[in-house]
Amino acid sequence: MYRRSSQLAIHAVLLSLAALTFLPFVFVVNGSLRSNEEMYDSFFGVPAAFKQIVTGEASEIAIKTGEPPAETLTKGYKLGWQVLRRYTLNSIIVSVATAILVVVVGSATAYALSRYRFFGSKVIFAVILSTMMVPGILTLVPSYLLVRWLGLLDTRWVLILPYLAGGQVFAIFVFRSFFAGLPEELFESARIDGAGHFSIYCNIVMPLSLPVISVVAVMNILATWNNFLWPFVTISEDELQVVSSGLYVMISTQVGQNLSTMHASYVLASIPLLVLFAYATKPFVRGVTTGALKA
Amino acid sequence: MALGSAGSRTLRFQLGCYGLVLPTLALLGVFTFTPMIWAFSKSLTRYEIGEDPEWVGVSNYREYLSDPTFLASFANMLFLTAFAVLVRLIVPLTVAKLIISLRSERHRHFYRILFLVPIVIPGVATQLIWRTLVYEQSGLVNRFLGAVGLAAWQHGWLTDPRTALWAIAFIGFPFVGGFEVLIYYAGLATIPESVNDSARIDGATGARKFLMIDVPMVLSQIRLIVALTVIAGVQGFESILILTKGQPGFRTMVPGLWLYFNGFSFQRMGYACAIGVILFVVIATLTALNLRYLRSTEEVQA
Repeated sequence: MYRRSSQLAIHAVLLSLAALTFLPFVFVVNGSLRSNEEMYDSFFGVPAAFKQIVTGEASEIAIKTGEPPAETLTKGYKLGWQVLRRYTLNSIIVSVATAILVVVVGSATAYALSRYRFFGSKVIFAVILSTMMVPGILTLVPSYLLVRWLGLLDTRWVLILPYLAGGQVFAIFVFRSFFAGLPEELFESARIDGAGHFSIYCNIVMPLSLPVISVVAVMNILATWNNFLWPFVTISEDELQVVSSGLYVMISTQVGQNLSTMHASYVLASIPLLVLFAYATKPFVRGVTTGALKA
Repeated sequence: MALGSAGSRTLRFQLGCYGLVLPTLALLGVFTFTPMIWAFSKSLTRYEIGEDPEWVGVSNYREYLSDPTFLASFANMLFLTAFAVLVRLIVPLTVAKLIISLRSERHRHFYRILFLVPIVIPGVATQLIWRTLVYEQSGLVNRFLGAVGLAAWQHGWLTDPRTALWAIAFIGFPFVGGFEVLIYYAGLATIPESVNDSARIDGATGARKFLMIDVPMVLSQIRLIVALTVIAGVQGFESILILTKGQPGFRTMVPGLWLYFNGFSFQRMGYACAIGVILFVVIATLTALNLRYLRSTEEVQA
């Protein structure tokens, strides 16, 4: 069934598709290591500073500017990081705070809804799920009016609270189906021992749920990190800007005219999630397949 | 679903349950249902920030139907959505099929992860990269055309009215979304070996087997991706805001972007809400049509 030639052909097709997919980003990484003069001079080509380090031969531009090669390689990153450092820190604060709150609030609700039948519990679950059907475009302007009215504009809460309200729904969905599968004997014996909600939740539910918690947290961080529009319309103060909207603001400022700096900034903006992806590949993959449910 | 036994259903536990779901309901009440109700009520008003809303009935809706952007933006939205549905259907499914046809599990795993990696790049960065690096006058596409002797074809892809919309549609070429690949892969992986065996006995191989056996077997995944792509297509405008702002003329305008401009540039909050309600109705109609199909996919993702 598996012929060697057809296997090789499949590899060839997949690798060329991957090459095409990554091509713009290869140019971004390459460009981030070159100076602006170099890029205007020739669009294609490896960083001259690299060549200089390997062969010891300085390019014309390098001779003219007298800049050491290590300096040329890192200049874009240094300049980009000056602006992005604050944005990255803000993004981390907002995303991590949101993820923690989503896990706590979402799992508490899912625990109550999956393990107990109380008056209205079915209706409550239906109401929660129904919010998945509310498209973001319907509530964009009224949500802005609301947070403005609440006085939340230009605070971190303007991001965290709406992210939490929206993000908890998917979390409840995932947690609920997981909690419902836990054996009832565990809960029964804990209750016989006199445990209340809080101690059951902390001592039984949470320790068993670590894999599903990581899925929820990772998917939530992915969503909040990449959200561009909401921070763009609600945050105008540079001090509080996050990475996604910050990049867009950046390109329309003085710094944005510097190609090398912008290229380096795209790379810097991708590193935090790349690190998360490297450490949490499994929850990422599981989350993406489960995430399909959020229609 | 396991439920607490009689002993656990004491008043204390019952009240505790309401306490546990209270934060969720409070958050949804404030940040989801309030804006939802406002969307409808404010769509019937003329409303600028700092002034009181003035009741105008359905005139916002009537105005939008004769808005100069209305026809053009819906046509553009339809084109972009249809294009997205087509490519997200064909390319990732083909890639998933190619991956699953590999013999070594290590290789299969490698490609699944490889195509997922681009999701770490912020969407804004991708769009800015396409705007500046790919489509610029001195960008990748024009350089490539120059290099292969087609210099006559070089032009501003996003500024020429004839190519702007196509340029927007082609962002993300070659459209191998890692997300879609994983979904289709999961679907293909659930095809029982007995089906594959009987297909082989009946002489169905290669492209024939793919079209006659595999595609029908992953129909629920296809419907899911189509539904998600359509919903995203009807309301999406971020990439257009970043790349062209709807220009040249209204050549790349879409309803969502016009909503954004009315709300955040022209201060016409009531009018923006009315456009939002119209888009909501479009999405709700399309979702209702898909609901039956979405339900049939549940067992696959759980």
